Amino acid sequence: MVDLISGKCELHMTKLTEKKRTPIWVLLLLHVSLLFSSLSGVCSKKAALSEFMSLPFIFWYGMVLVIMFGYAVIWQQILKRMPLTVAYANKPVSLIWGMVWGSLLFNERITWNMILGAGIIFAGIFLVVTADGE
Amino acid sequence: MESSYSVYVVILLVSVFISAVSQIILKTAANKTYESTLKEYLNFRVIFSYGLFFLSTILTMVALRKVPLSMQPILESTSYIYVSVMGFFLLKERFSRKKLLGLALIIIGILVYSIT
Repeated sequence: MVDLISGKCELHMTKLTEKKRTPIWVLLLLHVSLLFSSLSGVCSKKAALSEFMSLPFIFWYGMVLVIMFGYAVIWQQILKRMPLTVAYANKPVSLIWGMVWGSLLFNERITWNMILGAGIIFAGIFLVVTADGE
Repeated sequence: MESSYSVYVVILLVSVFISAVSQIILKTAANKTYESTLKEYLNFRVIFSYGLFFLSTILTMVALRKVPLSMQPILESTSYIYVSVMGFFLLKERFSRKKLLGLALIIIGILVYSIT
């Protein structure tokens, strides 16, 4: 959804903000919002484990939509204040949050090859995203 | 057990693909010019792509019944592949060697992650 809404301003913003240095609070806001968006996965998992259409299910799935909408709005504001490439290059931290929430909240086993794989993916996304900016 | 698990992985991959399609449609909608601001949002492409996006949130949730939460962002990274390939064919976006290398790393990373 995020990319959906931002798709619109992406085109105009890239050139405008490329030169300016991004204030630290924008970077902080970026990471707070990425952390926030990772919680939609937690809610989605909670909904998946609830009985279909039960009250908990409706609550958790509703939270998924609320978080995605809130994140889309914040993301839009962030993109206005920092280079697009930098914003997107930070996105793969969601890989880390997924593993953190998975192991802390759902007792998922994280192995070394998973961490290595995530690291490789992280580098891959970084290359793809920065290649787009050139 | 093993085969039903892969079905859920496929559901998640389909969900990511649908979400990528909705992104591309929205991008084509953003590139068009509209008579009014209202029409920028209330037109077939935009509404259809949000419909697709909604569908993908449901499919993701279904997939998470079996797929670990930690694996969701891993599989979600395939969206970069879908978007690049569709961008190449539909929006005529070329991709550089750097981008190709990045896409290859994403695939290798997913394989390394999936070793059990």
